[in-house]
Amino acid sequence: MYIVVVGGGTVGYGLTIELLRNSEHEVVLVDNDGSVVRDLRDELGDSVVHGDGTEVVFLESIGLARADLVVAVTGNDSHNLVASQVAKHWFHVPRAIARVNDPLNERLFRLLGVDSTVSAAAAVLAQLEVDLPEHTLVPLMHLRRRGLEVVDLHVQPGSPAAGRAIRDLTLPPQALISLVVGLDGTPQVPTGDTILQVGDELIAVIAEDSESALRHLVAAPLVLEPDPVRGD
Amino acid sequence: MIVVIMGCGRTGASVAARLVSDGHHVNVIDTEEAAFRRLPSSFNGRRIVGSGMDQRILEAADLRKADAFMALAQGDNRNVFAAQVAMHIFGVRNAVVRLNDPFRGEIFSRLGLRTFSPTVIGADLAYRALMGPAPVVEHASTLPEQPETAG
Repeated sequence: MYIVVVGGGTVGYGLTIELLRNSEHEVVLVDNDGSVVRDLRDELGDSVVHGDGTEVVFLESIGLARADLVVAVTGNDSHNLVASQVAKHWFHVPRAIARVNDPLNERLFRLLGVDSTVSAAAAVLAQLEVDLPEHTLVPLMHLRRRGLEVVDLHVQPGSPAAGRAIRDLTLPPQALISLVVGLDGTPQVPTGDTILQVGDELIAVIAEDSESALRHLVAAPLVLEPDPVRGD
Repeated sequence: MIVVIMGCGRTGASVAARLVSDGHHVNVIDTEEAAFRRLPSSFNGRRIVGSGMDQRILEAADLRKADAFMALAQGDNRNVFAAQVAMHIFGVRNAVVRLNDPFRGEIFSRLGLRTFSPTVIGADLAYRALMGPAPVVEHASTLPEQPETAG
């Protein structure tokens, strides 16, 4: 794959090193700051190019039209968004991933066709939630084009899912429980017969709008509600 | 019409003055408070100090109620970013963007922004000045006297 990384800060630098480990990739790291480029060249050589990752004329010179992927990871959301849009709309690069620095901008990036977004704030938040024993659902990854997301679910005591077989659960359309990790840490690809236990961790692919339905399925019931396990 | 302008440089301040004299309501955003000195004394809108890239600042400028947004700051990417926030997050239909890079102008006008490029306009004027008819130069002694500076 030909991959163009825009932004030579810590994120772009670390990413480029990882990508260059795989010799099948052709990787170009672009940065607009001459002194940053000089420093990075000492370590990464000709893979680092000095230029503006949002400027058509420059991007033509590095052959962006044949890129398979653009990853825009500067510390500035406007550069990241415009780099993705120029790549997609002018050069028809099939896939663009952008870093979102201000979590408020996440929605805009999605609306404007950035295929995936990476946000340090969201990543830390997700990790925080995973570490809380009472967490129910944590989004792990968005599969934007299909309107799907990958989520981590945690079966709570007394929840509708606890003690029941997957086939007996009322799952929202398109929801697929792909992996069950038991309390002992063994991952298992579930079947309809798999019985979910309290404390199980589930990795599921779901439609983006069915988060709350899934949450209810694994969440502990409110104190005043009748026991939903026996409801029907 | 209610208009929010981001960037109170010479262009932003002149457009704001013109809109106000036409009877429109204008709120102006700039990162530097000093920039608001360019506004005429007749300016009766809000002056907001902050970055137009920050949705909270756009909110403070009452963008939600605006009929139009004009991104007239220096950076192309900042302008195009703020204009897209105005359109897609705040639902403003009419978004004008100053873009120095004509290529970016073409991309984003296809995406529904009203773009203009000072670079293209400037180059065009320079070309016409070069190729157009030469001005008639009168003999130096017949040049009109400098007008007295008005009080």
